[in-house]
Amino acid sequence: MKQDHDEFYVGYLPKAPARIGAIVRLTVLLLMGLAAVVAFLTVREQRDIATALFEFGVQREFEGVIALKPYPMLRVQRPGVVSGESAPFSRYLLVAPFKFGADELVAPFDGRRVRLKGSLIYRDNKTMIELAGADAITEIGEGVADASLSFGEVTMSGEIVDSKCFLGVMNPGELKTHRACAVRCISGGIPPVLVVRGRDGTAYYLLLVDRQMGQVNQAVLSMVAQPVKITGELVRRDDWWVLKADPGQYELL
Amino acid sequence: MSLAYQAVGWNRQKKIYDACLAIGVVLYLTLFMVVGVLWFPHITAETLLLRGFGSAALVLLHFILYIGPAARLFPVLLPLLYNRRHMGVTMFFLALVHAVLALLQFHLGGDQFPLVSLLTSNGDYDSFFQFPFQLLGAFGLAVLFLMAATSHDFWLANLTAPVWKALHMLVYVAYVALILHVVLGYLQNHQAPVTQFLLVGGVWLLLMLHGLAGWREWRKDREARAEDGWVYVADVAEIRENRARIVCVAGERIAVFKYDGKVSAMSNVCQHQNGPLGEGKIVDGCVTCPWHGYQYRPHDGSSPAPFTEKIPTFKAKVTAGKVYVDPTPLPPGTPVAPALIGEGAEVTA
Repeated sequence: MKQDHDEFYVGYLPKAPARIGAIVRLTVLLLMGLAAVVAFLTVREQRDIATALFEFGVQREFEGVIALKPYPMLRVQRPGVVSGESAPFSRYLLVAPFKFGADELVAPFDGRRVRLKGSLIYRDNKTMIELAGADAITEIGEGVADASLSFGEVTMSGEIVDSKCFLGVMNPGELKTHRACAVRCISGGIPPVLVVRGRDGTAYYLLLVDRQMGQVNQAVLSMVAQPVKITGELVRRDDWWVLKADPGQYELL
Repeated sequence: MSLAYQAVGWNRQKKIYDACLAIGVVLYLTLFMVVGVLWFPHITAETLLLRGFGSAALVLLHFILYIGPAARLFPVLLPLLYNRRHMGVTMFFLALVHAVLALLQFHLGGDQFPLVSLLTSNGDYDSFFQFPFQLLGAFGLAVLFLMAATSHDFWLANLTAPVWKALHMLVYVAYVALILHVVLGYLQNHQAPVTQFLLVGGVWLLLMLHGLAGWREWRKDREARAEDGWVYVADVAEIRENRARIVCVAGERIAVFKYDGKVSAMSNVCQHQNGPLGEGKIVDGCVTCPWHGYQYRPHDGSSPAPFTEKIPTFKAKVTAGKVYVDPTPLPPGTPVAPALIGEGAEVTA
């Protein structure tokens, strides 16, 4: 019988012709190798991952004084700092689970010393606590007076982020890919923060409030995750900078 | 070949094909996850999964789109085309995982229903650079769903091959949307020059393959003209045994096969997925489509029993060693006696 050297592949036949089979096997191996190289090169470029952490599932106990305004915070006395020195308290932002602020949970305890349970979220030298739930806070005594220190008018440029994701719940928690989530979070009451980058890349955090120290969540939604310039009064509350400005005066860059 | 519908008509080649596909996908995802965790210990699991599945889907989409023109340029690669629909469905599920993860991570647990949030969180529809890239991804995914859902031969037969094919050409619309999804999202966000290079290279390669395949087809497709009702196809000696020469008349391609001292002509378009029958071969006495092996008897354009596919046939003749075809199509399945290749004789069929 005359042998047919004109190879032709038919998929439902049990075996591919020898030459076609060999070339296809080589091509498949090359494609797999190419996919592996692409995977390696792509994952190596995840440079937007910050050194930040959310201790998901880990609950700790904290003790301090609740400050409800402008955004819920726990004022925790710094160990070793004696009265009279500057910033004797550290402020931990307080948020509720998911994409919601903690105003309602915290309101009954404004100005009171409390013990509370929650999960830590931290980045750089800023800390946030996601409260464990509705019964996470227990009052244990009297609080201490709260005060602000003004540093006058300043102009700052940076990006408005939702503090919860930026500090570590999501990583990356900034820029356009995170914009939708940031809008949801800020709309739900998570404190909006202006992140200003120094020339060396260091991030500076400024809580955004209006001129009356009120929350600005709904007013900033259209400007989240975009470059923005804000002129306002710079105020310090313990170890947090606060920028008091009218959101209507924010400028998109 | 189809007779009764079943979920997948498994055979050895399909099993090998799917095993290679599964190994490739697992290899990609494993490498992405392991390297990601080792190199970026602070990366969250959601981000790693989101980017791993998204990039795997995009890489697979490129491979899928390369196969068509690559197989036209290098027919030896046709086995990659044979079970490509499984690759497409796999790619859709990878993209779906990416989309569901994104919806859960970015939109669930807030003050709006996640799908409403998807549409309203970024309202910059009038800006190119700030355009909500998520919607481009959602659109691409919707098209991929349409294609995955209609990938079975049941839909191919019920929608008819031309409609099905037109529907599946929407993959290129989805492709553009998905490229923009990546460019206006992930790549706009941070410096990733190697990823940018890979994406540009991927798009360039696709354009090159299509350009080359199209150019070669255009060169072959020089319109033939009928004289006295007959179109010259080729000299008998120019057509290989059991193979065909394709001639284009009035925009329609006709495949003219030479076999067993005879010549028969039929439509170049396979009824299954409109595959190019003229690039096939006569196997076991039947014209066999190079794409999925659908078969037609050369003398009547009908699939052998029990199959029922039929394609238009054409009259052919051999005169003084030259093959001619009558460009008037006969109804699908019309028997036409083959033209005999007689030395020096004029034979008309």
